[in-house]
Amino acid sequence: MTLALHLVAGVDFNTLPQQLVNGLLLGAIYALIALGYTMVYGVLRLINFAHGEVYMLGAYVALFVSYFMGFRPDATHPPQATILNLVIMLLASMVVCSIVGVCIERFAYRPMRSHSRIASLITAIGVSLLLQYGGALFLPNSPPPSISESVNPFHGQSKEFTLKGPSQDLVMLVEKAKPAKDQAQAAYQGWLTSHPNADIYNLPADGQALKEAQQSSTDIFNDAEHKVEAGGVHLIIQTGQAVMLVSTVVLMGILTYMVLFTRAGRAMRAVSHDFDSAALMGINVNNIVTFTFVLGSSLAGAGAMMTATFLGTPLTTFYGLAPGVKAFVAAVLGGIGNIPGAVLGGLLMGMAENMVVWAGYSNYRDAVAFLVLIIVLLFKPGGLMGSSKVEKV
Amino acid sequence: MRFWSIRLASVLIALGACVLLQALVGHASDYEQRIVVLVGLYITLSVSLNLINGITGQFSIGHAAFYQVGAYLTGYLTLNYFSKQPIHNMLLWVILMMFVGAIGAAVAGFIVGLPSLRLRGDYLAIVTLGFGEIIRITVQNQPAIGGSYGMNVTPKYQSVALVWLLAIICIAVCRNLLKTAHGLPFLSVREDEVASQAMGVNVTRVKVTAFLIGSAFAGAAGALLAHFEGFITPTTFGMDVSFIILTMVVLGGTGSITGSIFAAALLAYLPEYLRGLKGADGQPLMIPGSNVVAWLVAVAVAVTLTRLVMNKYSGDKLKKLALYLGAFALAVVSRFIAAFFLRMIPVMANKQIPIDQVRMVIFAVTLIVIMLLRPQGIFAHHEFSWSWVKGLFKRGEVPHSAVSA
Amino acid sequence: MSILELQAATIKFGGLIAVNEVSFKLEKGDLFGLIGPNGAGKTTCFNLITGVYKPTSGDIIFHGRQIQGTPPNRIAQLGICRTFQNIRLFPALSVLENVVVGGFLRHRTTLAGALLYLPSSLRETRRLKDEAMDYLKILDLDGVPNARAADLPYGMQRRLEIARAMATKPELLLLDEPAAGMNPQEKQDLMETVKRIRDDHGITILVIEHDMRFVMNLCERIVVLDHGEEIAHGPPEAIRNDPKVISAYLGEPV
Repeated sequence: MTLALHLVAGVDFNTLPQQLVNGLLLGAIYALIALGYTMVYGVLRLINFAHGEVYMLGAYVALFVSYFMGFRPDATHPPQATILNLVIMLLASMVVCSIVGVCIERFAYRPMRSHSRIASLITAIGVSLLLQYGGALFLPNSPPPSISESVNPFHGQSKEFTLKGPSQDLVMLVEKAKPAKDQAQAAYQGWLTSHPNADIYNLPADGQALKEAQQSSTDIFNDAEHKVEAGGVHLIIQTGQAVMLVSTVVLMGILTYMVLFTRAGRAMRAVSHDFDSAALMGINVNNIVTFTFVLGSSLAGAGAMMTATFLGTPLTTFYGLAPGVKAFVAAVLGGIGNIPGAVLGGLLMGMAENMVVWAGYSNYRDAVAFLVLIIVLLFKPGGLMGSSKVEKV
Repeated sequence: MRFWSIRLASVLIALGACVLLQALVGHASDYEQRIVVLVGLYITLSVSLNLINGITGQFSIGHAAFYQVGAYLTGYLTLNYFSKQPIHNMLLWVILMMFVGAIGAAVAGFIVGLPSLRLRGDYLAIVTLGFGEIIRITVQNQPAIGGSYGMNVTPKYQSVALVWLLAIICIAVCRNLLKTAHGLPFLSVREDEVASQAMGVNVTRVKVTAFLIGSAFAGAAGALLAHFEGFITPTTFGMDVSFIILTMVVLGGTGSITGSIFAAALLAYLPEYLRGLKGADGQPLMIPGSNVVAWLVAVAVAVTLTRLVMNKYSGDKLKKLALYLGAFALAVVSRFIAAFFLRMIPVMANKQIPIDQVRMVIFAVTLIVIMLLRPQGIFAHHEFSWSWVKGLFKRGEVPHSAVSA
Repeated sequence: MSILELQAATIKFGGLIAVNEVSFKLEKGDLFGLIGPNGAGKTTCFNLITGVYKPTSGDIIFHGRQIQGTPPNRIAQLGICRTFQNIRLFPALSVLENVVVGGFLRHRTTLAGALLYLPSSLRETRRLKDEAMDYLKILDLDGVPNARAADLPYGMQRRLEIARAMATKPELLLLDEPAAGMNPQEKQDLMETVKRIRDDHGITILVIEHDMRFVMNLCERIVVLDHGEEIAHGPPEAIRNDPKVISAYLGEPV
């Protein structure tokens, strides 16, 4: 019982909707990265450990493009930001990330394809370390730069939604306190104007009484107003975040279209079912693998550009490590190799993380991803939407 | 009788070697002693992970968790209880702590081993990794054991001999297992679980045993690390450490104890050696940025050409060797050409990079190069043996395993 | 008393009834055949007997003891061992090691002894290896004990599976299509080997086989399955002329 009480101690249900929305946003980004992991796994059965680093490079590309367009942090008169700037940054990140992803596949993974999967895994870890530490030699990382807020045309814009107003009693309280406060204030001001030479820190008795009355009525009013504010359930959504969410959904839609309805997408699904048979059926497997890396890496680039621009996190070459690991966990959670599973896993992961923060355990936010994963895998060994194949004897 | 005298002699030799090593490095600098200890610890870690990963085939990649459990458990006990208990001999106490660390880590290993009964391959891997992260983050949030700042372990006890004794015991245990019939169920579980079970192998017990033994050694290694360093932080046991241990196993050749030992020694020593490199002025070595990239280009050229020769050319051995040398020469040439052009880029030419920052790049490149050129690992599945050494000197008499069909 | 008895053994996978109320009895020393067209449920029967699947209903009785639901490794210890239709050797292990794994379930030393490399454990290892060599001789594989199992040609791999199963010292040996992929000469040799295993070692044998000539010449009694049901039962001559069997294999006369 005490444990239960302790667990809910930090919980404030009025902030829950805001945390859920934050979770949704974070989850959408995880889902975007997780798609890259899951598609590569589906096609090659390889955990692409360097995917997080592709994401990191995407953020740096966005940074450099924003510098190039004049949005340096030290610029005194940055140009007026427009949506076009953002689109250029997004496309640049996506293109560069695709190229990097394809190069990694061509030079590090393809030679390993005929060898054991664990050997490819070690190569992937090597590539990941190379990009992290090699990047640190040449990319600006101390102090960590971040993309200037001036590039974000939506900066500072937000929309507040009131989901539930405060209780009627509280509103009444404020309404009652307001005339009393105004009255006391007017009386005090009136006294001050009639005694222009009075020292406000050393007032005669009548002035002091008016001052105290004014102060106490203001305190009551402020207190009541604060309660009203806390009593309501509000939701603040920054316009930038809303744009991010919408773009993510659009990108996922495009991906779904490409995988389900294009020739290349159909070939990709065939390859993920059976690599060797697909090759025998005349599919150029190498092209499909390249296509997969283009799709996955460009999504990572888009995700990186959006987080770096709209959330303004400072960049280091380890920028992709934590999101990469969590997105990978999300992919496994949904059933690795399964595209809707990756989206579901990403959203769940984002939600779970924000729920932990909401419950007052923000120190454990990195652990919860794994905890959820372990629990889910114990009950569904193939992930939420994956199928665990029964071995035929 | 003869057996027991050989046994006695080998135990004495092992003990003697450890004491001798201790005497040899006793006067070396702290830095050098630390390298010797780290190599010993990493050998223990990689050989014990090899038992789980290479020999039993359970894809566990969170070995640092057991290392951490051993270190923190014994560190905590020493800090809080050493002064209050009757054993005042530090050596005895640390040996006791090794056992305590081993048991603590084995309990953790048992818990991690349980999912291995249900999960396979990559799913098991990510669960073991996740388990390690959960332990690390939990430790990080316990102020009672130092939280993210870390924990002082006092009194310290720095013994090179104990570290290497543990490494030798770990190697001996794994080798004994493989030399007797008891090792075969472990190997057969790796090869085919269904067939093993049909042959009467208790697959559950084998898997759990592998996790128990493997994690116990990692726990004992953790205990020694805690007492050697006198200070441990959660970051000492991060995911990167797990990856490094896994890399040692794969790089040496999965399943080969010899390979694990060799790779552990190489990968534990290499970064520390690089860290210690000094320039002409006695300061840490600085390398121009253009040279770093030029070397990367050279390595890429060398690897590409070597792979070409390896895969496309099947002819006279001598000519092949000449081609390899040619590839090497071309790589060296390309390094200078690349450096010439790179020096024109001001960012590269003007940047002086301390060796400490380059060493992880070298580490990463080493990994990739070895994997590209020898994916089965340095030793593949072979073990060192005297007959193998003899075989090197007797040409053409190497036993063949291939059978004419 | 019969050595193995299936009593109305049934297993369903979802809506599919793979084996439906199959009952037969094996006497000690039988050379028993289990035949039927593809998908008749023969291998599923093996999986039921060896504990890979638990029957939905019905009993499997070995030496008067119900064994359904017992895990496969326990069943191997009780004395039933099998080979696999799609060969499942331990590919990276040597031929000898494969057979030692089979013999390991009768080992008499502890793991601790092995880790300490005690003489008893070494003796036991040597004993198991010597025994394994004997089984290799029986199946004419003693020339290649150190080859990797994966490197063996197909026919040898099939024989190695039998040697490995024999090393568990079973009372009942289940052979799942042992002659598949062999040429006529190899089949002839195999048939003699199987007979010898029964005669010299007193092992009861249950064979699944597609090659009619092989089964008819080898087995003394045969059960025919079709669509999971038993359609005929008896000595080879009776089976050969059974109209139900003929229609199951060749279809109804038009």
